[in-house]
Amino acid sequence: MPIIPADLVHANLSIDQEEVKRRLLASETLLTDSADHLLEVVGILESYGEVLDAYSINLIYQAEHQFLNPIPIFKYLDGDLSLGKIWRHLNHDRINFEYAEYCQKAMFWHATGGMDAYLDSEAFAENCRRIIAAKRRRDPLLAVLAPLFPGFLPELIRSAATTHALGQFWRVMSDLFLDLAAAERDGRVRDIPGVVAFIKDGLVAAAANPIHYGVTIGGEHFWVLPPEAGLTFLVDVAVPYVEAVFLRGMPFLGTVSFNAQAQQISPDQARFTYGALYADPLPSMGAGIPPSLLMQDMYRHLPPKLHQWYLQRTRGEGDVRVKICMSFQKSMFCVTNAAINGTMPHPLNSSDPAAQAANGAHAQAWAERLGIARTDCLAA
Amino acid sequence: MLLTSLLLIPFLGTLALLLWPGNPTPSRLRQITIGILAVQLAFSLATALAFDPAQVGLQLREQHSWLPGIGLDYALGVDGLSLPLVLINGALTLVSAVITRDISQRPRLYFAMLLLISGAVNGAFLADNLLLFFLFYELELIPLWLLISVWGGVNRAYAATKFLIFTAASGMLILGAFLGLALLTGQVDFSLTPVLSDRLAMGGQLWLLGALLIGFGIKIPLVPLHNWLPDAHTQASTPVSVLLAGVLLKLGTYGLLRFGLQLFPEAWERLAPALAIWAAVSVLYGSLAAIAQTDMKRMVAYSSVGHMGYVLLAAAANTPVSLLGAVFQMVSHGLISALLFLLVGIVYRKTGTRDLEVLRGLLNPERGLPLTGSLMTVAVMASAGLPGMAGFISEFLVFRGSITAFPLATLLSMVGSGLTAVYFLLLVNRAFFGRLAITPPSGDAVADARLDVQLAPVAPRETIPALALAAGVVLIGVWPHSLGRISEVATTALATLTTGSGGLG
Repeated sequence: MPIIPADLVHANLSIDQEEVKRRLLASETLLTDSADHLLEVVGILESYGEVLDAYSINLIYQAEHQFLNPIPIFKYLDGDLSLGKIWRHLNHDRINFEYAEYCQKAMFWHATGGMDAYLDSEAFAENCRRIIAAKRRRDPLLAVLAPLFPGFLPELIRSAATTHALGQFWRVMSDLFLDLAAAERDGRVRDIPGVVAFIKDGLVAAAANPIHYGVTIGGEHFWVLPPEAGLTFLVDVAVPYVEAVFLRGMPFLGTVSFNAQAQQISPDQARFTYGALYADPLPSMGAGIPPSLLMQDMYRHLPPKLHQWYLQRTRGEGDVRVKICMSFQKSMFCVTNAAINGTMPHPLNSSDPAAQAANGAHAQAWAERLGIARTDCLAA
Repeated sequence: MLLTSLLLIPFLGTLALLLWPGNPTPSRLRQITIGILAVQLAFSLATALAFDPAQVGLQLREQHSWLPGIGLDYALGVDGLSLPLVLINGALTLVSAVITRDISQRPRLYFAMLLLISGAVNGAFLADNLLLFFLFYELELIPLWLLISVWGGVNRAYAATKFLIFTAASGMLILGAFLGLALLTGQVDFSLTPVLSDRLAMGGQLWLLGALLIGFGIKIPLVPLHNWLPDAHTQASTPVSVLLAGVLLKLGTYGLLRFGLQLFPEAWERLAPALAIWAAVSVLYGSLAAIAQTDMKRMVAYSSVGHMGYVLLAAAANTPVSLLGAVFQMVSHGLISALLFLLVGIVYRKTGTRDLEVLRGLLNPERGLPLTGSLMTVAVMASAGLPGMAGFISEFLVFRGSITAFPLATLLSMVGSGLTAVYFLLLVNRAFFGRLAITPPSGDAVADARLDVQLAPVAPRETIPALALAAGVVLIGVWPHSLGRISEVATTALATLTTGSGGLG
């Protein structure tokens, strides 16, 4: 057996589901508290906040201004069709909105939560009929497509609804992450428990925010997601988003392993583990959109302090996207941690056995899913 | 004086290094060595420019009586057979010096030995006297032994001693054959006289040629005389492996053509069918043994055993095309094996291992060795004989030139060429494809994927020599005429001289 220098490899630092459950019930953070982790998480969430701001603006633009456009060539330009903007876009001097679309498609496809239930309801079908009737009077292409493919336009509207909802969700998260960075600079957040508590408070504060979406066609307003549907931020968008993007995801090159022919992909998409918490930060040389494009986007907005910190490690600038991905995974564990804490059925210090059992079941359900995630990044 | 300068530059350089005043740092000594070797390469190129490709026989000859009593003349000359090898020697010793790093132990001796080897090899290729050849042939032995035994790996003493015993035996056999030729023919001036063996009975010729075949067969090396090579390569440092594979093995094949074929044409013709089979066995054995290796360096070493077999096949066929192929094979194998060893050296330095059961995914663009991996793919393609690279030209010429003379042996050797693709694709697939890892798999796929590999990046200066070699491999592949025009006259003359045939195949 060859002798491999110890400094070339790190030991496997994963934790098992028992440890995940213990930390959740003991009010400990999943991510180990350290000064480096604080720098990484706050810094990366700040750059993520900047990126989410752009994603959010673009998704809302797409849902409102590229609505029912079957060939949305200029959908990434946010309505700015100047030559400079088009040149920068073609020259790839831009945010990779493809990653935002990937997340939207993951949410749309995995289809969990209250919004998806509403998208399958009769009330939504009625909204679609009215919208399509109004739209096809003005758009000859849609007038042809609607009778030929009756399911096509309603599906585009469902997709647009998810797009808009994700845009609204990221609007909140973008502000929350930028506020977190400001709070850390002000000294209000000093450690990882402080980060998790800050995010949890932000999520809880926005929990009941209404999610609604309407479009204007020929001066007439139509609701796609009306207020009376009662959709709210936390349970109808945030939780499905975590389920679709953090946990399930979709198999793409760069995840731990997938090979449909070898039956390595579960036929049950509820058991998918290709989300951000499971993804391999080290790409296996494959093509594919996520997560590498997100890392490029965050690289454009890295806080100088964190950039310096990266430059001092491993290959410096050479593998900065891998480092960003590793920090991103740590920060996503903090966000997940905050979401789990925020949705805990009872206070953790409750002495009521029934409350303790309910909390235990909640923590157990999460531990089973996180026990096989990339928890190796949690160690200091 | 041009040829003498090719000896004087490295030999005086050796002396200069050993006598250099003060206590120069290793990097200073390295710079001086690189400077000397660059001058030597420039003189090698000047020799190539002064060389007339259309002229038959040795050129730029220099002859002085040295020790006439024992028949040792200082006689140098160059022809289309030796010139490419002199150029390869100039280029690869320079590469060896450039890629030498971290020599903290006796750096002065190390670089002096490198220069001494370079001069001795030049001398052997240029010698126009049997004893002079032998002198230089033996002269490179001790420096190489020192380079392995002082600066080698953990089992360097074992490997160096094995190398010494084998090559000393090789030297004795060669000297025995030269002395035998002189004594039996009565011509004790030890000149390279092709018709000399006509004076001998076939039995005597076969004995003498047999001794040369075994002597040079050890050096090449041919199966079953190859045993020393994988150990020597495994224990030698990367620059020494580059020299050993790229230049020193060529002394064996050069000796086979220059002294075996040229001095004993009748006996050669008698033995040729057996030699062709020997070549095929060597090719197949080397290739099959390479498939079984898990150490990258041993795999490349066994591939050398296989690929040197092509030269014997071409020499056995002894046609103008096959002999030209032999020269091409010597040059292309020199470049390709040097490139392979150089890249394996980079992998070893960065990961600490060469074990194919451990290395994975080194081609990874973010944290692996992408440029090294890409160059390795180029080297592997060249070695497997893909068109557009040097390996294709040489293998095609060898097979084209040999197939009519020895169809079975040639076909078997072609199988060996296919096997090259097998073992080198195994190497690339195992070490360079997949997810990056440098530890043995534990059986738990998820846990294995969690190991955080921290490989230092490869600095551009580390890959520049490899890029230069790869460029040479491609240059010969797309412009074979550059080498062919130098050697064609000489190889055609050699085939005509020994068989009387001048046509293709």
